[in-house]
Amino acid sequence: MANEILAEQISKEYEYGFVTDIESDNLPKGLNEGVIRLISNKKNEPEWMLEYRLKAYGHWLTMEEPHWAHVSYPKPDFQNIIYYSVPKQKKQLNSLDEVDPELLKTYEKLGISMEEQKRLSGVESRIAVDFVMDSVSVKTTFKETLAEKGIIFCSFGEAVQEHPELVKKYMSSVVPYTDNFYAALNSAVFTDGSFCYIPKGVRCPMELSTYFRINSAGTGQFERTLIVADEDSYVSYLEGCTAPMRDENQLHAAVVEIVAHKNAEVKYSTVQNWYPGDREGKGGIFNFVTKRGICLEDNSKISWTQVETGSAVTWKYPSVILKGDNSVGEFYSVAVTNNYQQADTGTKMMHLGKNTRSTIISKGISAGFSNNSYRGLVRISKGATNARNFSQCDSLLMGDKCGAHTYPYIEIKDKSGIVEHEATTSKIGEDQLFYCKSRGIDNEKAIGLIVNGYCKEVLNKLPMEFAVEAQKLLAVSLEGSVG
Amino acid sequence: METAIKTNTLKDKLLSQFESSKNSLFGNLQLRERAIESFATLGIHNRKCEEYKYVNIDLMLKGEFAFIYEKLISGKQIEHTKFLKDAINIAIVNGVFNEGLSNIKSLPKGLQIINIAEATSNETFQKHYSKYADVNSDSFIALNTTLANGGVFICIAKGSIIETPIHIINISSTKENIIINSRNLIVVEANSQVRFIESFETIDSSAKTFTNSLTEMVIEDNAVVDYYKIQDEKEVGYLVNTTQVNQAKQSVFNTNTITLSGSLVRNNLNIVLDGEHIETHLNGLYLTNGNQVVDNHTLVDHRKPNCNSNELYKGIIEDKSSATFNGKIYVRKDAQKTNAFQSNKNILLSDDGTINTKPQLEIYADDVKCSHGTSTGKLDADKIFYLRARGLSETSAKKLLMHAFASEVVDTIKIEALREYVEEKISKRFE
Repeated sequence: MANEILAEQISKEYEYGFVTDIESDNLPKGLNEGVIRLISNKKNEPEWMLEYRLKAYGHWLTMEEPHWAHVSYPKPDFQNIIYYSVPKQKKQLNSLDEVDPELLKTYEKLGISMEEQKRLSGVESRIAVDFVMDSVSVKTTFKETLAEKGIIFCSFGEAVQEHPELVKKYMSSVVPYTDNFYAALNSAVFTDGSFCYIPKGVRCPMELSTYFRINSAGTGQFERTLIVADEDSYVSYLEGCTAPMRDENQLHAAVVEIVAHKNAEVKYSTVQNWYPGDREGKGGIFNFVTKRGICLEDNSKISWTQVETGSAVTWKYPSVILKGDNSVGEFYSVAVTNNYQQADTGTKMMHLGKNTRSTIISKGISAGFSNNSYRGLVRISKGATNARNFSQCDSLLMGDKCGAHTYPYIEIKDKSGIVEHEATTSKIGEDQLFYCKSRGIDNEKAIGLIVNGYCKEVLNKLPMEFAVEAQKLLAVSLEGSVG
Repeated sequence: METAIKTNTLKDKLLSQFESSKNSLFGNLQLRERAIESFATLGIHNRKCEEYKYVNIDLMLKGEFAFIYEKLISGKQIEHTKFLKDAINIAIVNGVFNEGLSNIKSLPKGLQIINIAEATSNETFQKHYSKYADVNSDSFIALNTTLANGGVFICIAKGSIIETPIHIINISSTKENIIINSRNLIVVEANSQVRFIESFETIDSSAKTFTNSLTEMVIEDNAVVDYYKIQDEKEVGYLVNTTQVNQAKQSVFNTNTITLSGSLVRNNLNIVLDGEHIETHLNGLYLTNGNQVVDNHTLVDHRKPNCNSNELYKGIIEDKSSATFNGKIYVRKDAQKTNAFQSNKNILLSDDGTINTKPQLEIYADDVKCSHGTSTGKLDADKIFYLRARGLSETSAKKLLMHAFASEVVDTIKIEALREYVEEKISKRFE
């Protein structure tokens, strides 16, 4: 249906003579060297960037799609993807009445304002544009404040043009294009993303969020984020939003790189709620993301917090390389799967420096027919004296058709290292439910309450405004899964 | 028969060894042919195989290998391996059952011990042989099923309680490198009780022995089995030891795997809980030093509701040795009310040693209680201080702590003489 409407729209615009515009901004399906050259050309990239893309592409061709994760899905056809397109024109609706009522219900439960609801569902593109304009102005004011402090926060494309020396220095230093299949693909075809640089001694005064990026809708598929925190700096970065995103792109392969210099601290929070497919498990996003940070110098800290509720298949391991002495890595995660969703997520903590510490708290919740896996690696290399790790992975099962799995890998090569791992799997306690119900709290609310308590350790790590929405999101995601 | 083989084409040599010897091997040839097909596809596992990630068996099997090495061993030479005064000893020398060295003349009622090569016409044997170890799941199972040329078949009849422990002694003794494929089938019928000890030793050996040993064990309703393994093959020993256990309802299985020496020890312990109200206890202790590689893989497959499994593996790692623990608890959809626990604890004493641990849970039922935990660290400085403050030297304080650490596993050995034997071995080790 959507395609028909889209086709209609396109043909309509054809009549009005926008033909050149569309044709020039939409490449044909498929991937080859020509496509990469075109992408690079369209983005007006310098020669070194193109070379990098081509190298990555050459390497990608030699790689095979990985299959080790505990997920199953039809193999994406990489020649059936449009690798460069302008943001798709959304179907123009006249009022909220035309929007899928289920979507509206969800908005309501999440407490998203009317204005925002309209924007998210694509009602009245004029308002939407206004809103975006608003956010542009908001962004500009932000940008001024940030510029005063010397903080660079812009789109990746902009950064390539304006700060090539920084991009050249840091890009691919944490996630090389040879890293894995999807990182190589991303390195070859990424269209945009965000870039953030915090100069020496600066504490970023606000939460940086990709929320305000103008064309965030269109760059989602092969996104690339690079965050560099110079000495003694601090930044908290937010990605995604709690509102459900109906995206046409099925495959998402993003790359996020974080570099923390001496005494720097980066806090990265994600809430991911992309389309998980319908109740029968049809459709939905494949989310294959490579996220990695490096504590490059002494006393640095990188902290990942994620709330994963969306996507049909999630495959994501935000990692920290603890290279500097006394550096700290943290990973806090809540992953919820319902219906036929599959998630294989976790982290890697690579201890290289002395006195490095890492903490892993992972909370998995599976309901319906879903499968939820924690897969994590803690490696203490030789010479990483007095490294310390604590991991805790809990799984909660709701219903007897779902699965919860834990695959921790622990590799220790230094005698002074201390590593602890704990995992439990259980269901929601009948007595807990009974306790709530006997006090007049209905089933749904009781589950929401218990699940939120269960995830509290992680949710507490989220920035304030996110935390409130995330709590509601958990309840919405698990609706109807018990009882 | 003495086909010397090169390891760079070890797989091919193994394949051709089968061709040349297939008519002299016992049992069903079709079964062996199915197994070799699977071995041909799987090959010898190397690091690329997830299950063999931390142990490079392919690399360790460099050099020439023969398949059969006949050596005369006197009863006196193996006297010390029969460390239990009161036991039914079964000697398996270089993979082949040796009746002369065993003492199975007067067996208690209900106990049957037969050379596996002569058991093929036995009905119980036919019913169970190769029904549990899946040749497609692992290349060492496939290889063993293809080339097995010796071992024992033990059957405990319904309702028999065998008081005397049965001690299976695997002895390798050779002057040139050999590959041994030994195979046992143990059937414990309903309502019976039995205790096994299986030990792996080398005597008067100057060359590498690669032992690929496989034991299938069937435990029927209400039966109770204790099964202890002592692995002490010295640096000439390269051992892949697969144990495939199938438990029926209300049975109890206790196992203890003690690894003291051996250049390579890989234990695959697979237990299928195929009935309700089953109880399983798995314990393991590995003390590694030198360049030793020890890899313990366990799989507990909960197929039916209301079962309990409890696992505890502990290790002390010294020198350049490396130890791996990989435990998997698998709870199937129907296995509601499962209680499964798993714990792995390690002490790393040297900076050149490595510990890899991977405790896994794979759970498809919701009304279960499953947990696992693992910890790795050094000897606790506070505890050493406590003991030193009470006048112990640093070495004796450390020794005491290591003893205490190991004793949690050793104490689960219910045969007193065996426990004493293991304790003595451990004490010597900590000297």
